[in-house]
Amino acid sequence: MSIRHATAATALWSALLLMICGAAAADESKYPDLKGQWRRAGGTGGLLAGGAGGLRYDESKPATLAPDLGQQPPLTPEYQAIYDANLADMLQGGQGIDPTYACVATGMPRFMIGYSPLEVVVTPEVTYILTERDHDFFRRIYTDGRGFPANMADSPQFLGYSIGRWLDEDGKGRYDTLVVETRGMKGPRVFDATGIPLHADNQTIVQERIYLDKANANLLHDDVTTIDHALTRPWVVNRTFRRVASDKPIWFNHSVCAEGNAHVGVGKEVYFLSAEGLLMPAKKDQPPPDLRYFNRAQK
Amino acid sequence: MRYRRSIGAIVLALALCGSCAGARAFDDNQYPDLSGQWLRTDTGTPRYDPSKPPGRGQQAPLTPEYQAILEASLADQANGGQGNWQSGARCLPPGMPATMNGYNSMEIVALPEITYILVEHDLPLHRRIYTDGRDWPREIEPTFQGYSIGRWLDTTGSGRYDVLEAETRGFKGPRSYDNSGLPLHADNQTVIRERIYFDQSDAGLLHDEITLTDHALTRPWSALKSYRRNADKYPIWREENCPGITLLTKIGNEVYFKGADGKLLPTRKDQPPPDLRYFNQTRR
Repeated sequence: MSIRHATAATALWSALLLMICGAAAADESKYPDLKGQWRRAGGTGGLLAGGAGGLRYDESKPATLAPDLGQQPPLTPEYQAIYDANLADMLQGGQGIDPTYACVATGMPRFMIGYSPLEVVVTPEVTYILTERDHDFFRRIYTDGRGFPANMADSPQFLGYSIGRWLDEDGKGRYDTLVVETRGMKGPRVFDATGIPLHADNQTIVQERIYLDKANANLLHDDVTTIDHALTRPWVVNRTFRRVASDKPIWFNHSVCAEGNAHVGVGKEVYFLSAEGLLMPAKKDQPPPDLRYFNRAQK
Repeated sequence: MRYRRSIGAIVLALALCGSCAGARAFDDNQYPDLSGQWLRTDTGTPRYDPSKPPGRGQQAPLTPEYQAILEASLADQANGGQGNWQSGARCLPPGMPATMNGYNSMEIVALPEITYILVEHDLPLHRRIYTDGRDWPREIEPTFQGYSIGRWLDTTGSGRYDVLEAETRGFKGPRSYDNSGLPLHADNQTVIRERIYFDQSDAGLLHDEITLTDHALTRPWSALKSYRRNADKYPIWREENCPGITLLTKIGNEVYFKGADGKLLPTRKDQPPPDLRYFNQTRR
């Protein structure tokens, strides 16, 4: 009898042990392994001067050498006209409406083009997406169950306010998909270096599904849907990033745009800076800046 | 005999269970709770040594050569210029050690391999402090934040880490300690050692002891920075984007204001205007 009790106790303890250890394992493995450095799997750029500037927002469209790089964005007529005027200015040597010439942040959804490698840092409450590009160095995606704050409109941000939710779509007891919605953005923002505009009302909503490829855990997908009043329909793109096969990847130097920026905006004009630090016209017959506030004669 | 085996199995199960539960507790509680938003406790202009006034009041142990550079920076600022503070003049990142001055809010994300320090000043910045046991890489690409290697310590023997020691090297410049333009050496051979830990009597108070070795200094220079955790469960994180809001623009060696009417303005008396020799048109 006592042996039977002991055997039952052993079985009970073993079961408890499995439960406890299982729980611990589940805690450690609840989230997908997103560690490491993620680089764009496609989209090497190069269509515009500087290479990275030629990265297209929608890589599924065949690249062309047309000013819009073949993007054919689903813009309303009003915003198509803004885009066309922007492209015409760029063809003249201007910067169009792309604000990043002045090192202003790209904001969302352009951030997720992944100009520089990304790092995804997952904690239960927040998933951080870090990069090293110009002036967009990290996003916070809140996964702690909060809602959008009531006062979000008081402090709009280029990257917006992102709320996420982890899903176990496979039912394997482990999260496999992060769904994210981002609102509360400010502008000016454009989709890419060709200046595809977002609406000036900044009511953009960006929805994302971020997940590892089923067949290759070193591929990360981000399905990005942008809803914006400048668009005739939601614009959906799929981005793919490949994990660098190193446990100590080299992180590029923070690409500090202001460090080597050769563009100077004065009023509505954008000029170049020469190697010796002098202002130069960026366009033919561009007027020089108005220097009426200076006492000394122009050198 | 079977009875003894059963007892043995129970003991083994208990031992395994203990180690398993212990491992889980160790994983969960190994690191101090650094979550939340951290704000500097000192008031006034953010500066390297919060215990002393800014500018000359910092009494930085500068070499005569670099003391002269500081004096020139202060004189330029007194005349309306930006001095050595390139973060203001050009929207450059402040870089270390100024990153830890606590200009705005700070977030610390401690994971086993890396502790991240996220700061918003001029632009969103992140430091990575590697705690995965790595050594210094053979070559370090210089950055404003430098390359940081850290080590967690359990100084009280409580089974829980309580101090993060970090050493940072591999810098680029120009960097200065704070907005007075207090200079670091142009050779960028700065070495920064930090001890980051909670106050013994106040878990809402975080300290960062910083010791700087730099060729612009006559001796290592230490300062104690303190930060208090924001009690707000959902604190507001400001997004700073200096280029989007700055009223300054640098052309050549001169920094000008951008007027509300879009025209350039001098930042100091008798400042020369930009040289327009590359323009065909006459000045408007």
